[in-house]
Amino acid sequence: MIEARGLSKVYGAKTAVDGVSFTVQAGRVTGFLGPNGAGKSTTMRMIMGLDRPTSGDVKVNGRHYSEHRDPLHQVGALLDAKAVHTGRSAYNHLLAMAATHNIPTSRVHEVIEMTGLGAVAKKKAGGFSLGMGQRLGIAAALLGDPQTLILDEPVNGLDPEGVLWVRNLVRYLASQGKTVFLSSHLMSEMSQTADHLIVIGRGKIIADAPVKDIIAGAQQAKVLVRTSATSHLSSLLVGDGVRVDQSETETLEVTGLQARQIAQIALDNQVLVYELTPQVSSLEDAYFNLTKDEVEYHSHVSGEPALAAAPEGK
Amino acid sequence: MSTTTENRAGVPTRSSAGTGGVTFGGVVKSEWIKLRSLTSTQILLILTLVATVGIGALAVLIRYSFINQIAQRAKEAGQTVTPELLTSAFPKGSGFELYNLPNAGLQIGTLVLGSLAVLFISSEYATGMIRSTMNAVPKRIPAFLAKALLLVVVSYVITTIAAFLTFLIAMPVFRGYNLDLTWSTDGVMYSIFTGGLYVAGVALIGLSLGALLRNSAGGVTVLVALFFVLSIASGFLSLVPGDFWKYVPQYIPSEAGGRFLAIGHVDGVIDPWQGGLIFLGYVLLFLIPALLVIKKRDV
Repeated sequence: MIEARGLSKVYGAKTAVDGVSFTVQAGRVTGFLGPNGAGKSTTMRMIMGLDRPTSGDVKVNGRHYSEHRDPLHQVGALLDAKAVHTGRSAYNHLLAMAATHNIPTSRVHEVIEMTGLGAVAKKKAGGFSLGMGQRLGIAAALLGDPQTLILDEPVNGLDPEGVLWVRNLVRYLASQGKTVFLSSHLMSEMSQTADHLIVIGRGKIIADAPVKDIIAGAQQAKVLVRTSATSHLSSLLVGDGVRVDQSETETLEVTGLQARQIAQIALDNQVLVYELTPQVSSLEDAYFNLTKDEVEYHSHVSGEPALAAAPEGK
Repeated sequence: MSTTTENRAGVPTRSSAGTGGVTFGGVVKSEWIKLRSLTSTQILLILTLVATVGIGALAVLIRYSFINQIAQRAKEAGQTVTPELLTSAFPKGSGFELYNLPNAGLQIGTLVLGSLAVLFISSEYATGMIRSTMNAVPKRIPAFLAKALLLVVVSYVITTIAAFLTFLIAMPVFRGYNLDLTWSTDGVMYSIFTGGLYVAGVALIGLSLGALLRNSAGGVTVLVALFFVLSIASGFLSLVPGDFWKYVPQYIPSEAGGRFLAIGHVDGVIDPWQGGLIFLGYVLLFLIPALLVIKKRDV
């Protein structure tokens, strides 16, 4: 279990993490989601005692990480796949890590087999691909068979088979009663892996709920309507709490009305509607909804069509 | 059901990973694996031994030819060649007495082992390995102390072996002139067993510099400046008029440490034990801030 209380980290003039409080429970996979620069990695580094919190406190399995007698058995972490000396072989890297806790050499061989590193274990880690480096990082995290697993972007650079393997692994470990906390900026991955989500934006927690609830919360009853009389229909529909956007020719996106209500209005006013589709929102929509004001680095694409265009006046 | 509750309560289940905690012995073993598993380190350690003995042998050769010249000149002048006459070329306190021949190649050893010590920790910062180290040993200080302990042992052992080998080369060379140079000559054993302490001290300063600066090039540069450039620069102080400046250079790290390796009292110069204490002071001057920084700084 991970418990953060009022955790903050300030670098000079920049507040990376701003008083976050959350609890990561054992026995389920908790996703840590947020845009780049939202404070995910900094929070994880503070959990592992690599960064000292400016204020607040975070405990893993009831204690500060550094106060554990057997830290590698308590928490396994993959924070940075590059946390390896480039001149040392994967095997020797793991052997050196294992030695600190007197973990037997047989366990080193075991995690090498588990992560599929057998063929490259004696090669220098500096020559590893991103995916191989990631596997070595996961092997190091699993070394102590820890009660809590913290993985920062674990599927980064992995091939589809590797992504599936990580998904199955973390789901299995959670089913064994372990605490699994993994960050990602890939919503689709999270929706398939995590049970619970903590969403962070600009250093603040903006959501902390089961994945299902977060998706449901984003459902704003958006309905796609196709009609040739777009301007007429939109003038009929627009009202309190109702928003109409024209996304393309003869197509309206209506927010705030049920499909049945739209059909009724169209029928009453003799407007021909040839498609009426309620839109199902995904975790992706939910995520964009939650983080749209919190994104640190907006990408501006020139020539991007303006969203939410007013109904055409023709 | 009962198994699940046990797991949730954090009761360690039987695992192939064991259940032991961090021990200092384990951390030392871990650092030893790190030290020996880098090809660059293996090469540097062998190079240190070869270069130290090599430079030592060269020094033996130079002193021998020096003595040889004196002997030739004495013969031409019709004098009898006595050991006293020959050793007069190396007056007491000159630093060129024969008893300190075991440490003749010491400087190259300090340079290589000192740089290795800088790299032992700065390369972990450069590659990111330091985060893995601090994850396994989150109290941090034991990891630094394990590195320090290993460097002291490795530096001492290599330097002492090199000193023995150098002296083995030196003995037969000088025996030809009936010069008293054996294992029991005053200062020989002292030289052999203290040379490693000096190099170990330099290695500790190197390790501290690596931790403080987190940069290999910067650490090695400061180390070389401290032990070589400063020594040359301080030599110029003797050109300054007035007696005071002549006594200043003996307090710099390399000179104080060098004095520790000598034997006997010389007027106007600090005694060997004082040199040793001053040198130890310099080691602590770098080691203590490094320990504080390791404990406090984000990695």
